[in-house]
Amino acid sequence: MASADSIKREQALWMLRRMRVVRQLSERIVELYPTDVMETPVHLCMGQEAVSAGLCCHLTDDDVMLLGHRTHGPALSKGLPLEKLVAELYGRTTGCSKARGGSMHVFDMEHGLPGSSAIVGGSIAVGVGAALSAKMRDDGTISVSYFGDAATNAGVFYESLNFAALKKLPVLFVCENNGLSNVMPQQEHSAYEILGIASQFMPTYRADGTDALSVFSQAGAAVSHVRETGRPAFLECKTKRWMKHQGHEADDLDINPVDRQKDCPIAKLEAFVQVSGMANARELRAIRDEVEQEINAAIEFAEKSPYPQPKAQEV
Amino acid sequence: MPWSRFDSNYEVADDGRTLSFVEAIREATDQAMGIDPRVFALGLDADDKFGVFGSMSDLSHPERVIGTPISENANTGVALGAALTGMRPILINLRNDFLLVAMDQIVNYIAKWSSMFGDQIQVPIVLRSVIGRGWGCGAQHSQSLQGLFAQIPGLKVVMPSSPYDVKGLLLSAIKDDSPVMFFEHRWLYKNTGPVPEDMYLVPIGKGNRLREGDSLTVVATSLAAAHTQKACDDHDLDIDLIDPRTIKPLDTELILDSVQKTGRLLVIDYDFPFGGFGAEVCAMVTEQAFDALKAPPQRLGFPDANMPASGPLERAYYPTPDRIAETVRQMVGSELVV
Repeated sequence: MASADSIKREQALWMLRRMRVVRQLSERIVELYPTDVMETPVHLCMGQEAVSAGLCCHLTDDDVMLLGHRTHGPALSKGLPLEKLVAELYGRTTGCSKARGGSMHVFDMEHGLPGSSAIVGGSIAVGVGAALSAKMRDDGTISVSYFGDAATNAGVFYESLNFAALKKLPVLFVCENNGLSNVMPQQEHSAYEILGIASQFMPTYRADGTDALSVFSQAGAAVSHVRETGRPAFLECKTKRWMKHQGHEADDLDINPVDRQKDCPIAKLEAFVQVSGMANARELRAIRDEVEQEINAAIEFAEKSPYPQPKAQEV
Repeated sequence: MPWSRFDSNYEVADDGRTLSFVEAIREATDQAMGIDPRVFALGLDADDKFGVFGSMSDLSHPERVIGTPISENANTGVALGAALTGMRPILINLRNDFLLVAMDQIVNYIAKWSSMFGDQIQVPIVLRSVIGRGWGCGAQHSQSLQGLFAQIPGLKVVMPSSPYDVKGLLLSAIKDDSPVMFFEHRWLYKNTGPVPEDMYLVPIGKGNRLREGDSLTVVATSLAAAHTQKACDDHDLDIDLIDPRTIKPLDTELILDSVQKTGRLLVIDYDFPFGGFGAEVCAMVTEQAFDALKAPPQRLGFPDANMPASGPLERAYYPTPDRIAETVRQMVGSELVV
């Protein structure tokens, strides 16, 4: 890929670190979830880390991103501090949504995260509204509507593409396509190609969502288009979901065979940075160990944080 | 800040000027846009030549009025996204029936967004919509759905009945940092009354006593408040007439004070009755002023049935000032029997 020539060392290592945070936190959740310390559903992003990491490499804190229910990966990639996410999963007042959101509702305006929604589809339109606002305020930012393949089944998806194209808004639609709507494969929920729909409204880009370099390259082009023209674009990244739709167990669907060696976005990027001489095995081990320490610290922070008290009107 | 002048003084003196209800809406919108560049409007036909029955005509900032496709769900999500990022949208629906197409955005998103994220972000949106019957418009263009929205935590529900109130309440709604459902009855649009030219606020959550009387408390909203005034003029009724102006939050104190005096309650709300605003007020008064009641509280509104279209059926379905007077007389007359 062209990106192998153009990507800088710090960008590759930035993506790698973000992906490792998402992966290693997911692995820790898998260990801890059966102990019920997190009283909230979890929609893990294992296997899908490259999509948000490759995208967020091109975004600033002022660019806003609206998320669906599978929040952990994109929120952490966008900059949500690890301890704030973990504290939210633990239901503590120090959580990113002050223990009012849970796993599916994360917020961090400092890093351009005005919220996420557990009702599939609707947040696509909210991202379009953020783009309308950016255009009216003329502040040079863009917005991202970030969603999965099943969200394209909702009518609001089509309405949002039309609105953004019609009003010429600086919004990037990013479809993290794991090919599954809960347990239903894409060919059973969609009689269309997603980019076939999107291409009627705006330029489209396609990336291999298991390959951070592919996403980096295509997301870079898509973000540039939106920034330079002030008009919408669409990026589809096909990826693989390793875990069940919700919960801490590995996916076991026949329709979703996963090869954790071949399909691993982290293994792919680590191979690239080693072959290209950007980092050696010792440095990669150091990143992994540092991330592990950050996760330990985040869990300790959450465990020491207080639970909320009900407000007067809630009792 | 553009709105800080209202922090201590909401009111202005009567300047003797008269405006219609729809002109008052237009003036409030124009003045809000004039002092605050964050205020903008969007909606189907918001920018067309009819200007939403004239309420959006000839504004000073037409570049901040955005016509939209018939995509109510996305339009409402767009308004939310804009509100989360520094704007103050006014989302307009020509009929409140169209709000139902956007229930996901209104109930699952807008109403919950602030509290769901620990009150770290505000959602300053006004959802203007037109309620009520037209002329044989039938079941899908005649509803008044305020009760449905009042049930949802996180939404304020405003129902102005006069030109003065609609201007002051719309300005309050635009100034408010939380979502406000703003219901305008189409039959009020041509009514006229005193409306000062300066900007002023009518506080959300504060009701208004329109008539002073001793024998019966009547709580009436929107067009029902106007109809009850007419019933009083035509039939010389002795009632304490309370226009709550905003049904959520509700000025319960004003209603309870009145019931303590009269001992009787009639709620007139043009909406479906089951689990609605009338039922809520009757429950509230029964819970909080049971000892003051001399007779069972009553409600007057629509039947628990969908709107008809044909003229004779409409005349049977909808309450009128005469029917209000008849109901009042029955309730007050019962005092003589007791």
